[in-house]
Amino acid sequence: MPGSSVSWAAKVLAVTRKDITAEFRTRYAINSILMFALVTLTVISMALGLMTPDSDLMAALFWVILFFAAMSGLAQVFIKEEEAGTALILKLSTEGLVIFFGKLIFNLLLLTVLSVLIVPLFIILLKVTPQNWAVFLIGLVLGDIGLAGATTIIAAIVAKATVKGALFTVLSFPILLPLLMAVIDITKVAFGGGNFGDISTGLQLLVAYDVVMVTVSVMLFDFVWRQ
Amino acid sequence: MWWKILIFAAMSAVIIAAFMTPSPMNPAISLGDADVYRIFYFHVPQAWVAALAFVLSMIFSIKFLKTRDMQYDTKAVLAAKLGLVFAVLATVTGSIFAKMTWGEFWNWAEIREVSIFILLIIYGAYFALRSALPNAETKATLSAVLSILFAVSAVFLIFILPRLYADFSQHPSDSVVDREGQITMGATVAAIFFSSLAVFTALFAWIYNVSLRIAKAYDKNLPEN
Amino acid sequence: MLKLEIDKLAKWFGQRKIFEDINLTLEIGQSAAIIGPNGSGKTTLLRLIMGLSYPTRGEVIFSEDGKKLDFDGYRKRMALVSPYLSLYDALTGFENLRFFAKVDGRAVSNDEMNEVLEKVGLGGRGEDFVGAYSTGMKQRLKYAVALLKDPAIFLVDEPSANLDESGRNIVRGIIRAKKKDSLLILATNEKEEYELAGQFCQLGG
Repeated sequence: MPGSSVSWAAKVLAVTRKDITAEFRTRYAINSILMFALVTLTVISMALGLMTPDSDLMAALFWVILFFAAMSGLAQVFIKEEEAGTALILKLSTEGLVIFFGKLIFNLLLLTVLSVLIVPLFIILLKVTPQNWAVFLIGLVLGDIGLAGATTIIAAIVAKATVKGALFTVLSFPILLPLLMAVIDITKVAFGGGNFGDISTGLQLLVAYDVVMVTVSVMLFDFVWRQ
Repeated sequence: MWWKILIFAAMSAVIIAAFMTPSPMNPAISLGDADVYRIFYFHVPQAWVAALAFVLSMIFSIKFLKTRDMQYDTKAVLAAKLGLVFAVLATVTGSIFAKMTWGEFWNWAEIREVSIFILLIIYGAYFALRSALPNAETKATLSAVLSILFAVSAVFLIFILPRLYADFSQHPSDSVVDREGQITMGATVAAIFFSSLAVFTALFAWIYNVSLRIAKAYDKNLPEN
Repeated sequence: MLKLEIDKLAKWFGQRKIFEDINLTLEIGQSAAIIGPNGSGKTTLLRLIMGLSYPTRGEVIFSEDGKKLDFDGYRKRMALVSPYLSLYDALTGFENLRFFAKVDGRAVSNDEMNEVLEKVGLGGRGEDFVGAYSTGMKQRLKYAVALLKDPAIFLVDEPSANLDESGRNIVRGIIRAKKKDSLLILATNEKEEYELAGQFCQLGG
């Protein structure tokens, strides 16, 4: 049955759209991620109470919340395919990289939703405002891209494990460490009111990290996926 | 057999030399008891072997992915196991040294302590993944991929850590290199240090070979590849 | 001409031998049945043929006109029906069909989808969520997804698993039809089914 052909980008988006549709109907990942972020945020802001921590500490806390919230949900894109038994037919249905980028985009959207929720709450509850929004936002965007880009392949690895538990966090941490260090540095500058001149090395590093991690994942993904 | 004897003799010589020669400490810029600084002859080679084993394990992982030959997986795991042992040794000796000179076992502001700790976490994560995977083939493939990803991340850390820690490193800068990265060892210190480095590397190679032979003997009833 | 060659294939899981010395050559229009008791490695052999597991020894080669095909080369033309795979419960029958065609690079019309659903006896159920299907209906939908792909290589693991009598008849009809225009491999212990195949591959003694 020959049909009209579909472009590569359309295939990738079909994967993302399928996941979004399924996500809206089942709320598999989004609820747990958002609630996890909210709970962590509440714990931290209550624990800090009347203290007035400096902006350096705030930058670190911001990324700790985002990191753990991301860890609580980003692995689901592959875990649900393995657990539901749909991974096998998916492997025969399209190229591995279509799946990789489809899932990467889905995770990126998930992180965007998470960030949009967390940022205003963080500002309100922890009473800290970025003095330089442009620096803050570029750090946030590059950080989210790095989080999704570096952990998508880890999610595929973890989905194969019999005991998943905290494995995703354990495996992601050493890989995300350079990203977290660079991005916390940038957010510190944003909270402290510095400008782009103060973050040029950090930005270069972040862009290099995002590009390299996605490239290496692309090179290695088929080994993981074709198991 | 002669390997074993040679390493034993050389290691004994290094140990004796390390304690019979003057301490490698430079009293002009260092704190604490001079004798404590002798640990440098053992601590640094251990850290070196831990890092070397990590690189070896990654090379075997790449070879495995290229050939799908399980012997490379066996080699990658062996290198990682030994690397973990040496990483633990380096962490412990480093932290004893820290306690004796700066008064605390651990200091997050110390770049080399942080680095060796990250290496420990990497090894830990590698083995955590292996134990969570169901069969030999999956174990071999996925842990090989993971070890390459860790290596890439490590390259970034090598760039980023020194930048972040530039201002407050406390590591004894007089022992091997100073703050400008110049080697400042005297001739005797250098001789003992590099001998120790060679002996520890040989020790690693010897244990690795023996373990590999044991692993192969155990797998003898497997089909030849 | 598409061709499958399995040459002295052996698979071990660690110290445990699953099978060895499996040989099989198939072309389009030829079929084989893998038979053997439970645990003899039928599903493992299928995974090796699909390229989702690696041989301990020997090889599995798909070639076309003498040229070896890589994974994506034969994957594009391969379909699998198995009790070990599932479709998306959160999507409807139509959405499943459309999704699997689209990620494979094909846009399908409603008519095409209705046609395959009719063929497997799921006519009129396309708008229902797969999660609400019975196991038998899910198994039928897997055949619909496979038929929509019109595979040149068709692998079927336990063809009539979870199916009632009418389902079995439909499936046997599909197998008879695909036998003519594809390279067909069945993994089964049902006599009525393996008798449909032209060759046998006996596992487990």
